[in-house]
Amino acid sequence: MQVEEIVHALRKVFPTASIEPGQSPLDEAFVALPANCILAAVKLLVERFDIYHLSTITGQDTGREIELLYHFWAGGGLTLRISLPREGAHLASVTGLIPGAAFYEREVREMLGVAFDGLADQRPFLLPDDWDGGHPLLAHRPEEVPE
Amino acid sequence: MTKMIIPIGPQHPLLKEPLSFQLTVTGERIVDSTLRIGYVYRGIERLAQERSYVQNLHLLERVCGICSHIHTTVYCQGVEALLELEVPPRGLYLRTLLCELERIHSHLLWMGVLAENVGFTTIFMYAWRDREIVLDIMEELSGGRVAHAVNIVGGVRIDLDEEHRDSILERLDLLRGKVEDLLGVVQHERSFRARTQGVGKMSLEQVRRHCVVGPVARAAGLDVDLRRDAPYAAYDRLAFRVVTAQDGDVWACTWVRMQEALESLRLCRQLLSELPEGPLAVKAARRVPAGEVVSRAEAPRGELLYYIRSDGSDRPARIKIRTPTLPVLSVLPEQLRGIHTADVPAVLSGVDLCIACADR
Repeated sequence: MQVEEIVHALRKVFPTASIEPGQSPLDEAFVALPANCILAAVKLLVERFDIYHLSTITGQDTGREIELLYHFWAGGGLTLRISLPREGAHLASVTGLIPGAAFYEREVREMLGVAFDGLADQRPFLLPDDWDGGHPLLAHRPEEVPE
Repeated sequence: MTKMIIPIGPQHPLLKEPLSFQLTVTGERIVDSTLRIGYVYRGIERLAQERSYVQNLHLLERVCGICSHIHTTVYCQGVEALLELEVPPRGLYLRTLLCELERIHSHLLWMGVLAENVGFTTIFMYAWRDREIVLDIMEELSGGRVAHAVNIVGGVRIDLDEEHRDSILERLDLLRGKVEDLLGVVQHERSFRARTQGVGKMSLEQVRRHCVVGPVARAAGLDVDLRRDAPYAAYDRLAFRVVTAQDGDVWACTWVRMQEALESLRLCRQLLSELPEGPLAVKAARRVPAGEVVSRAEAPRGELLYYIRSDGSDRPARIKIRTPTLPVLSVLPEQLRGIHTADVPAVLSGVDLCIACADR
C-alpha cells in the first residue's frame, strides 16, 4: 500500500518527469526518473515517508546507456530507475541522506565508471589497489573485444 | 597519548575469511578504524552473464559456503517469475525445508565462532558437534553437506519417503533439546554475559541509516523479516514468530539467533508434517523471456537480493547480487569506534560476517 502512495507522491512532485510505474514479476514497482531528480526523490522517500532501506544500487550497461536501479524496500519493493550516458556518466551521491549507500555507490563507480558527486570515499572497493583492467561490468564494444 | 595503528587482516586468526581492518588506538581504546574488502572478489556477477541459466545454478550456489541454498532459492524464484512458472507445493515445501535447515546450521556455526572468540571453547565444541545433526540431515537429503544442489529452475530435485521423514523428525527433536541446553548455558554463564552484554551496541538509528538487515537489525529492535513481510516459497502457509530484541549488543544478537534457531526447528517440524503430495518440479524452458525481476528472501544473515534481467536468450543479461553482510560491514567502523581492543573479537563475531558473500 505504501509503495502506491510513494509512487503517487513522486508523480506529484516531478510532474514534468516521465514517471512510469510498472509492475514486474514478484511485485516490484519500477519508477523511471531523470538523473537530476535522484537526490530530490530520495529526499522525499527519507523525509516524507521515513524510508531508509536502500537494499542496493544495481548498475548495468545496456549497450546504449548506463542504467542505475535504486532498490528500496518500503513494505514492498520499489525501484527507482535512472539512465545515464555511457561516456562521462555522473550523478549526485545520496550518501548525505543514506550513509549506507556509500558501499553501493563505490561499487557502481568501480564496476561501471559512474562518478558520484559528493561521494567522500574514493578508494578502491572490491578491485585490487593496482587494478588497471578498466571497469569490469562495462559491455565490450565489438572493437574492444580482444582477438 | 600516542596513537598506534593495529592491522587486523587480511589474514588473521580472528577472521575466518580475509578482510582488513586498520584500527587506530590510543591505549586500549579504538579511536578510528578503516576497512578494506575485496580479497575474495571473484567477479561472479560478470561470470553469471557468460553462463546459461542452468549453469548459473552451479555458480551461484558457490557465492557462499554457509548459506549456499538460499542463493539458488532467490535466483530460481526470480527466473521462475520471468518464466511464469508455478512451482508445485511439494517442491516449495522441500525448498523451504532446506532454507530452515540452513538457518539452523548457520546460527549454530555462528554460536560456535562467537563462543571461541570470547574464550568459551566448550560451547564452540558443543555448538559445532550439534550442528553435525543438521549437516547429516542435509547430506542425506541432497548428497552434499555445504553445496546441496537442491534447487532447479521450476522446483527441487530431492524427495524423501515417510520413513526418512520420521527419522529426520526424531533427530530434530534431539537437536531442539541441545539448542535449548546451549541457550541455557550462555544465558546463565556469567562470564559469557560479561563478554557480550553491553558490548558492540548498535542503535536502531545506525541500523536504519546503514540499511542493516537480518538478525543484527532485529537485535537492535527493527522488526523486519521477509519470510513474514514478503512471503516467498512456502512461508505464507506456515506459522512462525519473528524474534526481536532491543539492546543491539552482542548478547542481543546471541539471543535473537538462538531463538531463531528454535523457531526454525519448529518450522522444519511443520514443513515435514504438512508435506503435500505431488510432483517436485515443473519443466522449465532454457530460454527466458525478456524482462527483469527483483527477487528477495531472508537468508540466515538477512535480506538477500538478486536483480535478474533477461534479454530473451538462454543466458542472463545481468545478475546483481546484494548479500546481507555488505550493510553490516558499512556500519562496523562506527561500531568499533570507542570500544576496548579486547572487545574487537566479540564485536566482529557478533555481527556474523560472510566475506565471500560480500565480495562475490
